[in-house]
Amino acid sequence: MVSGLHPRRLNEALAAMADPGVIALAGGTDLMVGETETERRFLYLHNVREMRGLRETPDHLVVGAATTFTEVLESPLAPPLLKEAVSGVASPAVRNAGTVGGNVANGSPKADSALVLMVVDAVLLIASARGERLLPVADFYLGGKKVDLASDELIVEIRLPKSRLAPHYYCKVGGRRALAISRLSFAGLFRQERGRIRHLAAAFGAVTDVIFRDRCLESMLVGLEIPEAKKLRQDFLAAYGAALVPTSGRVSKEYRRSVALNLLGDFLTVFGV
Amino acid sequence: MTYSPPPIVPAGMTPPAEPLMTPPAAPPAASPGPPAPLEFVLNGESAVYAGRGDARLLDVLRDVFRLTSVKCGCREGECGACAVIFNDRLVNSCLVPAGMVALGSVTTLEGFRETERFAVLDRAYARFSAVQCGFCIPGMVLASEALLRRNPRPSPAEIREGLSGNLCRCTGYNAIVEAVTLASKEGEGLW
Ligand SMILES: Cc1cc2nc3c(=O)[nH]c(=O)nc-3n(C[C@H](O)[C@H](O)[C@H](O)COP(=O)(O)OP(=O)(O)OC[C@H]3O[C@@H](n4cnc5c(N)ncnc54)[C@H](O)[C@@H]3O)c2cc1C
Ligand code: FES
Ligand code: FES
Repeated sequence: MVSGLHPRRLNEALAAMADPGVIALAGGTDLMVGETETERRFLYLHNVREMRGLRETPDHLVVGAATTFTEVLESPLAPPLLKEAVSGVASPAVRNAGTVGGNVANGSPKADSALVLMVVDAVLLIASARGERLLPVADFYLGGKKVDLASDELIVEIRLPKSRLAPHYYCKVGGRRALAISRLSFAGLFRQERGRIRHLAAAFGAVTDVIFRDRCLESMLVGLEIPEAKKLRQDFLAAYGAALVPTSGRVSKEYRRSVALNLLGDFLTVFGV
Repeated sequence: MTYSPPPIVPAGMTPPAEPLMTPPAAPPAASPGPPAPLEFVLNGESAVYAGRGDARLLDVLRDVFRLTSVKCGCREGECGACAVIFNDRLVNSCLVPAGMVALGSVTTLEGFRETERFAVLDRAYARFSAVQCGFCIPGMVLASEALLRRNPRPSPAEIREGLSGNLCRCTGYNAIVEAVTLASKEGEGLW
């Protein structure tokens, strides 16, 4: 069919995905780059009701996978960290088409909204005609550009635990203001209660082949009082320096490692460590 | 291998004089019989397209519908020369598969030109000589329209952000920002 498949409901979309020749397309901003010889049959997700928009449950902020970046920016429900990251994506026209689900599904370590999902420990609802499953976003990335998604599966929604939406630090280093794919990006969360660090999370984009997070290193500072954490600051940075082994890319490895550590250091400074 | 039925040409447009560009490859054997044509609204008129569903909307608008205000600068979403309004949002038509617009609505500069808002933008762009070679201008004007629809009184910084996906090699942008600022004042109440 020339027009491709235009399901309006999730069950129709999932039934159509059972055909291995069908390719899910949300915004097309990744899929339409480059030329293809043979015709591709697209299943368009932009009208699937269950995959659109943001909503709240008692514990989660739920983002439909086919929600565009612009819709995130316009939503009063979207957390500031997500808005900040999304506002740095490309340009208005790309944000009007590109979606959060597509950003995760492409498996790129440079994906700006995926960085946020990683740092807040988001969970993906993945479904097929065979059933559905919940998967922490960290487990979705299998390394390289490989992701844990069968050919008949769709990401339906992304659940951000509200308890994780702590005060944040975010920085994207690009070549220029607009239309810059991240050379490196960093998102950190920091919550303290009565001078004691209760939660700390740090995620690095575009350094390693998947978005980098190391819970073990994060825990070095959790539970400590700020002065104790300050004493460990240099060790903490050194441990990240050892753990962050940049992949080769267009921008030199040494540059990326040192910028990553500078951002981590700045993150700690901003929160008084 | 033919596009059938012939495209509906929006009112006021001259129908294609030359033969259409060689259509892309035939549909895969998997789809039985002739493919169902795709219907959508193009510049306010109903339109039908029966070529490859994964063709770029950019190519379909230019080569099938002869809407040559839609320019091709990069084919990868970087320049904004191919920008059109799809369902009330600015998109780069090089990244939109034709099949995506089924039952939706697409506006190119040819359609937007008929509006009073265009007349205001046209005068403002001319007033600041914001057009030089003109290649970026259709996309730039539609991006201005898309911006003003959502934010009728943008600050210069908001204008720069709103037009940040549209590259211009000639003007240096300042004249364009001034033009949009003027249009937002002169067009009071239109957006
Ligand atoms: C000029 C330009 C600049 C860009 N700049 C940035 C940037 O600054 N930061 C950034 O992060 N990205 C950037 N991108 C990349 C792109 O816009 C994003 O990755 C976007 O989120 C992709 O979403 P989409 O809906 O357009 O994906 P699509 O192209 O529709 O799909 C991408 C992939 O995901 C699959 N997919 C999509 N949705 C689902 C789903 N719900 N379930 C299962 N699979 C799915 C598709 O099958 C495909 O394999 C840029 C792209 C362009 C063209
Ligand atoms: S041709 Fe589409 S953005 Fe350049
Ligand atoms: S006027 Fe020449 S590219 Fe803008």
